[in-house]
Amino acid sequence: MKPKPLSSKRSDTLFSLLLDLPAFLLLLSFIVVPIVDSVIKSFQAYGVKNIITKKPGVWNDFANYLYLFKTDDFVGATLHTFSFVIGVVLVQFLLAILLALILNSNIRGARFMRSVMMTPWVVPTVISALIWMWLFQPQYGLLKYLVSLVTFGHLSDFAILNNPSTALTGVGVAALWKQIPLMTLLLLAGLQNVPQDISEAAMIDGAGKIRRFFSIILPYLSPVIKVSVSMSIIENFKQFPLFWTMTGGGPNNSTTTLAVLSYREAFVGMNLGSGAAITTLWMLMMIAVIFGYNKLFRVQEM
Amino acid sequence: MKTTMKSDSKLFSFFKYAALAVILLFLLFPLYWVLITAFKTNMEAYRYPPTFFPRHPVLTSFLSLFHENNQFFVYYKNNIIVSSFVALLCCVVAIFSGYSLARFRHRWNTWFFALLLASQMFPVISRMISLYSIMGKLGIINTLGGLSLALLAAQAPFCIILMSSFFAGIPKEIEEAAYVDGAGRWRILFSIVTPLVKSGLVAVGIYAFLMTWDDYLHAATLIQADMKRTLSVGIALRYLGELSYDWSLVNTISIVGTIPVVLLFFFFQKYMIKGLVAGAVKG
Repeated sequence: MKPKPLSSKRSDTLFSLLLDLPAFLLLLSFIVVPIVDSVIKSFQAYGVKNIITKKPGVWNDFANYLYLFKTDDFVGATLHTFSFVIGVVLVQFLLAILLALILNSNIRGARFMRSVMMTPWVVPTVISALIWMWLFQPQYGLLKYLVSLVTFGHLSDFAILNNPSTALTGVGVAALWKQIPLMTLLLLAGLQNVPQDISEAAMIDGAGKIRRFFSIILPYLSPVIKVSVSMSIIENFKQFPLFWTMTGGGPNNSTTTLAVLSYREAFVGMNLGSGAAITTLWMLMMIAVIFGYNKLFRVQEM
Repeated sequence: MKTTMKSDSKLFSFFKYAALAVILLFLLFPLYWVLITAFKTNMEAYRYPPTFFPRHPVLTSFLSLFHENNQFFVYYKNNIIVSSFVALLCCVVAIFSGYSLARFRHRWNTWFFALLLASQMFPVISRMISLYSIMGKLGIINTLGGLSLALLAAQAPFCIILMSSFFAGIPKEIEEAAYVDGAGRWRILFSIVTPLVKSGLVAVGIYAFLMTWDDYLHAATLIQADMKRTLSVGIALRYLGELSYDWSLVNTISIVGTIPVVLLFFFFQKYMIKGLVAGAVKG
């Protein structure tokens, strides 16, 4: 008897679905259902009482959403989130591509530096918050000392996290520190795929370094840039532990992002319904941003 | 012309090395600073201006961590249990679905892949608001098992995509040959294909371990008992609660809390770097 061919379509599909089943059930019960459920809860009065008595929430005529716009908190948190994402992603991309280009040029010890520079990426987020809180410490911190040294004593009380106008930057620095390594690694991998001979041919034709970067390296790199920047956008949009540990959203709400606001509402104030309203709007914004970003990139590719 | 080019490139390489030095200093100096603070006495750590090398290196904070503040090791142990469990299960799930996505192209898998990509985008807090009550009803809130499952779901999507990019690199002819020899589907998957993607499996396992080790939000919302807390939440609640911090101790905690993941990463960095690049560029 001849063995039946491996690619008998129907049984292939069945086998494949069977393999997908564990992951599918996992995602269904711990991601899809909770997300849908939280959107539903955002239209309900749902608080700590409901959890204790196990009673379902009741429809409350958009009260959770109306409540959000009674104060400036939600608008403020949205602005903080966007400034944080834009600032961190932009600076991160510039520094990472600079570092990747340098490490990709034939310098001695590039391999060693590439592996050592990954260390901050491995450091747990809460611990990187602690590291930077110690560097920023208002009385004995190293940064305070360095700033006073550089300004010849003019600025002797530098405390980045305690000042509402600089606190967001302070958290941003910690985020950059942790995230630059991964982006550099990805861009470096992309650079190694740029064909050497085209770049050399352009050099012989008299194209300068800058010209070669924009018309040869950048186009080849653009798929990697697209992915790594979108990963960074998502990560910073969702950032929570850095804020919660370093500033708790303060001073004066200057670092209260959507993540901090929704956590505070849902798990400190125990108003899960209005917390869910914040996360629902937050989610919609994130989808819109990623959608717009992908669209932008598609236009650029043409 | 020759001279201008030469001076140009000299200036260029000066800027190149200066930029390299500044960025590397930014990335690496904080680690040095934590390391030396951990070996300072609190007296010296609170000295202003600070000292750039400990005058009398001491182990006081390490000893105090082991003797007086050893609740830390409860969190540490829980973190090891949860991270290992998630890493292990993540590998199993990633073998299954990664293979399925790489080998079988049909409508359902297209949808499944889209689900995997989308599920990485949702804010964790959004899930937690709902899981807090759902898992409460099921009675798996405040258990390490429940926490692990929630974390497994969070890590699985990236791990599956990563694994499928490794499976996609294995030629199908190998499987067909085994099939002709009479091997069943499961045997082909486990004893022929999977051994060929061992390096990918290492990358997936370590990635899942690192990401779970880093978790804060899942544990902060799903765990209430101090004895079941994991590292990040434990540190934040126990050692940062007071008005004045014991900074030498905090820096010691930072080191002890980071060592396992740093070792793991550097020991397997060859696989990790390859894996991260493959996973990100494919996904």
